[in-house]
Amino acid sequence: MGFRSFLGLLGAERLKLSRSLIWLLVPISPLLAALIGAMSNLTDVPEASRYDLLQSTVFMLHALLLMPILTGIFSSFVCRYEHSGGGWKATLSLPVSRTALYGAKFFMVAALLAAVQLVMIGALLAASAVHGITGSIDWQSALVSLLTGWLACLPLAALQLWASIGWSSFAAPLAINVAMTIPNILVVNSDKYGPFYPWAQPALGMLVQGGEQNFGAFNLPLENILVTVGCSFVLFVAGGLLYLHRKEI
Amino acid sequence: MKEWIIETRGLGKRYKGRYAVSNLNLQIAKGEIYGFLGPNGAGKTTTIRMLLGLIKPSGGSIRIFGRPLEKDRLSILRKVGSLVEYPSNYGHLTAVQNLEAIRRIIGVPASRIDEVLAIVGLTKEAKRPVKGYSLGMKQRLGIASALLGNPELLILDEPTNGLDPSGILEIRELIKEMPRQYGITVLISSHLLSEVEQMASVVGIIRRGELVFQDTINSLRTQSQSAVTLRVSEREDALGVLASRGIEAAIGAGDSTLSLGSAGDAAVALAVKELVQSGHAVYRVEEDRKTLEKLFLEIVGEDGSL
Repeated sequence: MGFRSFLGLLGAERLKLSRSLIWLLVPISPLLAALIGAMSNLTDVPEASRYDLLQSTVFMLHALLLMPILTGIFSSFVCRYEHSGGGWKATLSLPVSRTALYGAKFFMVAALLAAVQLVMIGALLAASAVHGITGSIDWQSALVSLLTGWLACLPLAALQLWASIGWSSFAAPLAINVAMTIPNILVVNSDKYGPFYPWAQPALGMLVQGGEQNFGAFNLPLENILVTVGCSFVLFVAGGLLYLHRKEI
Repeated sequence: MKEWIIETRGLGKRYKGRYAVSNLNLQIAKGEIYGFLGPNGAGKTTTIRMLLGLIKPSGGSIRIFGRPLEKDRLSILRKVGSLVEYPSNYGHLTAVQNLEAIRRIIGVPASRIDEVLAIVGLTKEAKRPVKGYSLGMKQRLGIASALLGNPELLILDEPTNGLDPSGILEIRELIKEMPRQYGITVLISSHLLSEVEQMASVVGIIRRGELVFQDTINSLRTQSQSAVTLRVSEREDALGVLASRGIEAAIGAGDSTLSLGSAGDAAVALAVKELVQSGHAVYRVEEDRKTLEKLFLEIVGEDGSL
């Protein structure tokens, strides 16, 4: 399948999502993050570390819980219309390779997550403005955090896509995803399990720069996270692709 | 030798040790409407899914347009339009958007959307979300989707399922036009002979996964020569009258009926004349039109409960 036909497939996927409510989910987590950031109390914090603390506060809920959960929702959503309307059959009866279809679905999930991370920049700006420290924003730290968080979500997206392709139910893969995300609160504190738990990687990736959290798995270097993320990504994509190729439509 | 658009050899699909389809040899020639018949669960949809590469056969080979499906799936599917089991569409999108989603994948000009909507008569409803459509309209949209890529082969799996009589008629008229107007070869599956009888040129009948009949519809008709039934007064006497004139007849199944078998027009006319002249009243002269359906039921066997 050529590059142009893949672009066509992407266009079709975009069209399917265009009239849906999925886009409303994009700003929810950043809105909450801005609110949490704006309401945090920085008065007792020395001026030099104010920004670092604010960034961690803004990203905390998002990285620890909402982003992994959103990854699952997006993955389920891009498969939803195929399951409900017999779309797998209709799409794969067209000149479409299964690898390309998987690629297009995965691309959509990754794009939605990237959109969330972009809106998150706005949340960080808003929270900084409320505290009057817009000038001391550490752009490098913020952007590296957002990018690492996004990368760390891609293996989860691959795993959830695998589950969503397999299960025609919308809720089942989501429920499992939420159940696996909630232990994050404990797992990130463990230097033994944290580095290997896929759902904890976004938090480790986004919050490691924070400065305050130099305990548990947080004191691991960035490279460590990227190795876990890279390996699990390859594993989950391979599994999902193999599954889709063998699936009887 | 004929040019086969679809040719399968020894095609089989096994599920947990049981064959859903076995040793299937389909041959579908260019420009034909091929009626693929069989009771529910006989393996029609399984076969069609294999023809589209949606499931892998357990054995045998498939050639479409003379090329192996396994190797050339994408380039073959580019020239195939299909509708499997029930129409699939995205309910939150309009008919135009549904077709646009497919158009982006197969890359035909945008004007083609209006063309296929006009062919299936959905132009007026094209801007409404599909979830508000009736089943018949969804079915027509499904056919529009199948036609979008200017296919050379249409594969339609029970396209009239769940439609009312006028919807069935509409779809039938639509399909009949395909070979004539566009040179498209059509494979249409159904569990009702009466439904494809009027449009198919060739029929294949599948029973418990095996092809038990494959020939022209005319050859099926000659095998099921129609029987003429007479309803007369004093049946036994009438039978005697016919026998004395050398006309073969038998006691019929109904009250006061005589069966003339597959008698020709002249023989029937003679029988009526003789009966009337010898003072019998002839109430009815009927041709038993159900025999083709009966033959079909015989072919598909007991499990063909219709």
